[in-house]
Amino acid sequence: MAQVKEITRKLEEIREKIKAEIPWEPVGPTPMPEIPDLRSWDMRLLKTYKPFYAPFCDLCCFCTYGKCDLTENRRGACGIDIATQQARFVLLACLMGCSAHAAHAGHILEFLIEKHGPDKKIDLGTFIELEAPNIRTVTGLKPETLGDLKIAIEYVYKEITHLLDSTHTGQEGSYLDYESKALHASMLDHVGMEVADIAQIVGFGYPTSVADTALVDMGWGSVDRSKPMILVVGHNPATSCTVIDYLRENDLYDKVEVGGICCTALETTRYSDRAKIIGPLSRQLFFIRTGIADVILTDEQCIRTDMPIEASKSGSALIACLDKAMYGLEDATEMDADDIVRQMVEDKKHFAILDPKKAAEVAAKVAMKIAPQRRNEWLTEEEAIELAKKCTHCGMCERVCPNLFALNDGIGEVAKGNFELIKEQFNLCIGCGKCEQECPNKVPIFKIMQVAASKETWKCRAGRGPVMDTEIRNVGAPITLGTIPGIVAFVGCSNYPDIRDVAEMVDEFARRKYIVVLTGCAAMVAGMWKDAEGKTVYEKYPPDFDAGGVVNVGSCVSNAHITGACIKIANIFAALPLRANYEVMADYVLNRVGACGVAWGAMSQKAASIGTGCNRLGIPVILGPHSSKYRRLYLSRKEEDDWRVMDARKRKIVDTGEPSPEHLAYVTETKEKAMVMIPKLCIRKNDTPQGRAIKLNHYISLYKKYMGGGLPEDLHLFVRRDPDIPLVYKKEVRVYLQEIGWKPKEPVGLPTLIGTYPSKVPLDAVIH
Amino acid sequence: MSAVIPYHRVNVLTGIKSARLIEDAAEYANLIQKAKRPLLVLGPRLLEWSLDGRLLLEYALEIAKTANIPTCATSHVRKKMVELGVKPDSVYDAVEIVNALKDPDWRGVKKEGNHDLVMFFGIRTDLAEQTLSVLKHFAYTHLKTMTLCKFYYPHANYSLPNFRKDEQWKDFLDSLVECLKK
Repeated sequence: MAQVKEITRKLEEIREKIKAEIPWEPVGPTPMPEIPDLRSWDMRLLKTYKPFYAPFCDLCCFCTYGKCDLTENRRGACGIDIATQQARFVLLACLMGCSAHAAHAGHILEFLIEKHGPDKKIDLGTFIELEAPNIRTVTGLKPETLGDLKIAIEYVYKEITHLLDSTHTGQEGSYLDYESKALHASMLDHVGMEVADIAQIVGFGYPTSVADTALVDMGWGSVDRSKPMILVVGHNPATSCTVIDYLRENDLYDKVEVGGICCTALETTRYSDRAKIIGPLSRQLFFIRTGIADVILTDEQCIRTDMPIEASKSGSALIACLDKAMYGLEDATEMDADDIVRQMVEDKKHFAILDPKKAAEVAAKVAMKIAPQRRNEWLTEEEAIELAKKCTHCGMCERVCPNLFALNDGIGEVAKGNFELIKEQFNLCIGCGKCEQECPNKVPIFKIMQVAASKETWKCRAGRGPVMDTEIRNVGAPITLGTIPGIVAFVGCSNYPDIRDVAEMVDEFARRKYIVVLTGCAAMVAGMWKDAEGKTVYEKYPPDFDAGGVVNVGSCVSNAHITGACIKIANIFAALPLRANYEVMADYVLNRVGACGVAWGAMSQKAASIGTGCNRLGIPVILGPHSSKYRRLYLSRKEEDDWRVMDARKRKIVDTGEPSPEHLAYVTETKEKAMVMIPKLCIRKNDTPQGRAIKLNHYISLYKKYMGGGLPEDLHLFVRRDPDIPLVYKKEVRVYLQEIGWKPKEPVGLPTLIGTYPSKVPLDAVIH
Repeated sequence: MSAVIPYHRVNVLTGIKSARLIEDAAEYANLIQKAKRPLLVLGPRLLEWSLDGRLLLEYALEIAKTANIPTCATSHVRKKMVELGVKPDSVYDAVEIVNALKDPDWRGVKKEGNHDLVMFFGIRTDLAEQTLSVLKHFAYTHLKTMTLCKFYYPHANYSLPNFRKDEQWKDFLDSLVECLKK
């Protein structure tokens, strides 16, 4: 009885928070879900897509009872086994990612509420009425003002606390439950990201309800080196946008260059298309060591933790602008701006300044003062040859390289006057600097890299924010029927294993009329390649969310617009209510929206939570080879796993035997294999025969291109009836199917997992 | 045995169970010949590396042919095998074959039962280490792992050392083929 009362009280509290009385849609079964609320959905997913653990370490060293050896089925002093320990690590990684975005969201929201007030209306323009699909779906709240976004982010904070608690020694003991928690944390991440980006769009006036955003200059070659330069690094644009304001207000904008690395670059170019994108995070150390930046402003996430040392080495001034990374610097937030400027110029001191206005003023003044005295020239080829001669080919650089390449070979060639190999290797460099650190002969590898780094400039389309409702209305049918073969999202970090891979994949799939969506550093490197006519993919393909479009939605936090677009398809096109209705949305996406994420260079914990959040929503993600170090994948075994679904029209469980999508989190070693997997992971049970034939056409043709001819070994699993076979391969496929004794299967009218596992959601809820 | 540092330091062992380092080709051959159902997993680095102008994939295929070991082509290795006129016994990606191998009841690529010795050759070391770790932790009751690349792999059961010169690796592989012929 007491428990019932407690549940009722809790529910009333939640209904109040989400303003349940406003009847824009009926409140679904899981408003502001807590850890157990979507557990059944997770368990159903994990039944087919079982966690695949690749332990990074044999031990647990979390508590003072350890270290505990967990090999050969041993348990630790607390009772934990190796699988559960891996799952615990995965949850921690997802929580780090989720909290990074949530804290970013909380900070920017506070900053913008202070600027505009809590009642500032959320208006994303004429073509976006469904402004917050993740927030609405997960929490049940329809945010109308910046103040409403606080309700959503406070819910995320609360859940993070409970989830983090579960990782303490002597708590959760099931790897499946840890996975469910990781899925929960990562779903919350998409709420946090959505809060951040909606706040930014509204508060900074970023582009919205538009596809054709500006093409902005990209590359270090785009920096006018005759001017002072301010470099912004990280993810949070509070200070970088304030810098632009300051320069504009003081008539300095044509006298100072502003460029960015990583997502702050993308955010700043959404605010001003005159700002420059220097490059992705893999170019951070390289660019800082060129000394081009007079002032460096750091905010948060993916910034180097040795920034003060590096800034001092190159003679740049450094301001740490957020409390997440203060580097032990003196907090000058309350100091007089001119006094800070004097100390930075005369004493070469770095400071933390947590007031964006003051940081902007100081940055501009310091840049103007120190720039004339510190023009660094790039290394000449002759100088590089001399420096390279110090290399004794000991191989230490290769041994410590996270991307495993033999840099000493490239340096050796430079010593002989040949720069071709080092130019190739620059594309593989993830910019960690370990090679230079370990070099016993102190070869200045990053300096030598200056001769390898192309001074070319490229174009990147400024991030456009959410996909428009009008676009969803146009593509909803072709995506769910399969005639647009899929949405491919290239997201996150970009540097592993080869910086050119992403552009090549984008080009391949845009040419094949997939919808290609990009975010973060992947959006940058997609533009760092030109075709024979000198065009980047942003100039070559239209910016529309439509077949053959290449769409940069923005920074890391804009990843919420990709999951948001999938939810919008279910809500706008299929007219399924989304309010607090996560299971129905996820079930729809899993079974009917042919979307596939590619986090090809994923490095960070944020990438772990972004990807895992996609997984809970039913979107599979392909990762590059190094991502096996995330320790966990979600893999099926196609011939053996459970591919039963409910045919909601017939109200009957059907064993389809069709592994679509085959995996939820998958690692592959090469871009060639990734290009074969992408079309396969876009196949969905809902495809019409025409749509399936189009998808199989791409699967077969890419298989032939990259796997040496013939037909995919698992093709028979995806052919339901003869009309599914692509016309161009009809004869060959029919012969193959006959040889292996293939039998036709009835396509499922309305495939759903609802009804195949215990759930509060009635089957009628998925019928539209 | 004192700790062996793997060639690529990102793969350094953080545990207590590490591979037995073997330099003697005869010992390797003996282990392979004793296995009832070995499997050779081929990675895409075999398409990039060559020894004395001979592609590593050709060494791998010679080993497979000499000892009658079924092959699994990962990534896009199949393409080059087709060009060389060889059909792989199976095509799985690295994580997929390992996912199957860790199930003791899996029927194996020949449908004759799961494999008892799995040899990794040509997978980049970070991915190879992680997938070897999967088998070390979740398949130790029913199979052993072995590597043929020129680096030390701590998560394998049997590994070659970090060969300082490619000639040493070539000599090992040539000797291995000779020993397998016996």
